[in-house]
Amino acid sequence: MYVRAVPTTDLNRNTEWFTYPGVWTTYILILFFSWLIVLSVFNCTPGMAWTIVHLSHFLVTYHCFHWKKGTPFADDQGIYNGLTWWEQIDNGKQLTRNRKFLTVVPVVLYLIASHTTDYQNPMLFINTLAVFIMVVAKFPNMHKVRIFGINGDH
Amino acid sequence: MIAIPYLTALTTYFSYGLLFCFGQIRDFFRKFIDWCWSPNNLQGYAPICLGLEDFYIRRLYLRIQDCFGRPISSAPDAWFDVVERFSNDSNKTLKRTEKISKCLNLGSYNYLGFAAADEYCTPRVIESLKKYSASTCSTRVDGGTTVLHNELEECVARFVGKPAAIVFGMGYVTNSAILPVLMGKGSLIISDSLNHNSIVNGARGSGATIRVFQHNTPSHLEEVLREQIADGQPRTHRPWKKIVVIVEGIYSMEGELCKLPEIIAICKKYKVAYTYLDEAHSIGAVGKTGRGVCELLGVDTADVDIMMGTFTKSFGSCGGYIAGSKELIQYLKFTCPAHLYATSISLPAAEQIISAIKVILGEDGSSRGAQKLARIRENSNFFRSELQKMGFEVLGDNDSPVMPIMLYNPAKIPAFSRECLKQNVAVVTVAFPATPLLLARARICISASHSKEDLNKALEVISRVGDLVGIKYFPAEPNKLHQEERMKLE
Repeated sequence: MYVRAVPTTDLNRNTEWFTYPGVWTTYILILFFSWLIVLSVFNCTPGMAWTIVHLSHFLVTYHCFHWKKGTPFADDQGIYNGLTWWEQIDNGKQLTRNRKFLTVVPVVLYLIASHTTDYQNPMLFINTLAVFIMVVAKFPNMHKVRIFGINGDH
Repeated sequence: MIAIPYLTALTTYFSYGLLFCFGQIRDFFRKFIDWCWSPNNLQGYAPICLGLEDFYIRRLYLRIQDCFGRPISSAPDAWFDVVERFSNDSNKTLKRTEKISKCLNLGSYNYLGFAAADEYCTPRVIESLKKYSASTCSTRVDGGTTVLHNELEECVARFVGKPAAIVFGMGYVTNSAILPVLMGKGSLIISDSLNHNSIVNGARGSGATIRVFQHNTPSHLEEVLREQIADGQPRTHRPWKKIVVIVEGIYSMEGELCKLPEIIAICKKYKVAYTYLDEAHSIGAVGKTGRGVCELLGVDTADVDIMMGTFTKSFGSCGGYIAGSKELIQYLKFTCPAHLYATSISLPAAEQIISAIKVILGEDGSSRGAQKLARIRENSNFFRSELQKMGFEVLGDNDSPVMPIMLYNPAKIPAFSRECLKQNVAVVTVAFPATPLLLARARICISASHSKEDLNKALEVISRVGDLVGIKYFPAEPNKLHQEERMKLE
């Protein structure tokens, strides 16, 4: 089964890989397989496993998309050095399909995690906090905003 | 158009994700160990690399460093000597040995075979070296313009089919020093999305606004052009001072020819756009008499405003040229920093270019030029069709001497490269960030100096290595001869 890979007009090598076919499926499959691995390693209830997956997803994606700035290579001479990955994607255009997909995934994970733990308290509070931070960070109005100067440029 | 199997796309993303994670974990431990065990007294010194800049080089490129930058110890002809290297610290540093292995050269841009000693060119080059010495040691405006430079510029202009030409000492500099001179603030550059790094750097350095159109898609170019002409400059909406459309003749990573007739038609329709054609890989290698992609596609050279090219690929020398109208070249001679401040092109190199052009045009009295051109066309078409029959995914159009074979997975890049080297075939593999993340490839450049036996040996080795590594993504066509032999035995 073949798919066509058309070269994009995005010149930023750090983010143009996200526009090729197969990325969304890989993302969802990684989440699913990590749930299976957490279940096998920790021997906990499925609900706890989804909570662990949701929280580690929050930590990893917050660090990679909203904390680390710049690109992992020096070819572009640092023109993206002040921008996080989320701000670089799709050349800064807001509300594209990729951005909408990446906003929906943590919300869906939150719903699955809350449902499978029956909305019980310590997990519910932490999950809600995580998804709140994730979704607010992805709002179009938060483009290039640094609250209290956290993670700002020197 | 690249057709990638869906499962391969998923496994490639997963592999890169895994490599990225491992790199981050190792970086974390390195930071931890450095903080605990070896506190360094570098207070007051600024760091060499900012943040994550060297992450890709340290954690991904260095792991397979032995596949890139292999030193050679002979001229890059069809067969050449590759120096063997070994590493004691898993590829962080490589040490050369005394041993060399003679390998088939499938990586050099030696399209017409001028890279090694040639019976017409080399004696003339050595004579000019004795007469003029290796370098002029000054810029063109000071004392660096000799009789040979003027002859070279006339020769190039005549060969390319334009009224005048100007020659520089380095090919990359030709693009990155000309674009800032021609375009400034308030101009618009529309460039193909897969243009070479030299064009991107020149465009960024010029201060003009840059818009990118989808690779080789004239309809998208028309859309972008219409939108930009209607919009005007950003914020003030005044009309643009100048609009230039930049395309390449043969794209070196895809082996594709540019759709020049359609693009020229669009530029003529809208009347305001100039065209800039970068023929680095196509000059001397395609076309009936070697005059490049304009001859091959039947485009009149008067329709392309600025033609640029390099001498590194087909002419076996160094340097680049710009060909255009007399007024343009006169303007460039007064303003271009590469002409005013950089050392002029070395004289033996200039003599090599003049002799190579004479051989190609047949002015040396023999028909070797026409033979070379016919041979490279034959070799490229034969090799490409054989590879496609074996089931490899090969990019590029017919008649193009550059053929990338798709590899996709990051682990197949060093596997393919090392296995081929073991069987004495040297290939060049290209990965991210020179190509998109998914589309890593092995790029093969066919030369006129490859004989039929060389090509057959290469096909055999690549087929065997391809089976071992698993890159035959398309179904292979059954070989009719083999079936007949089997019938005879039975």
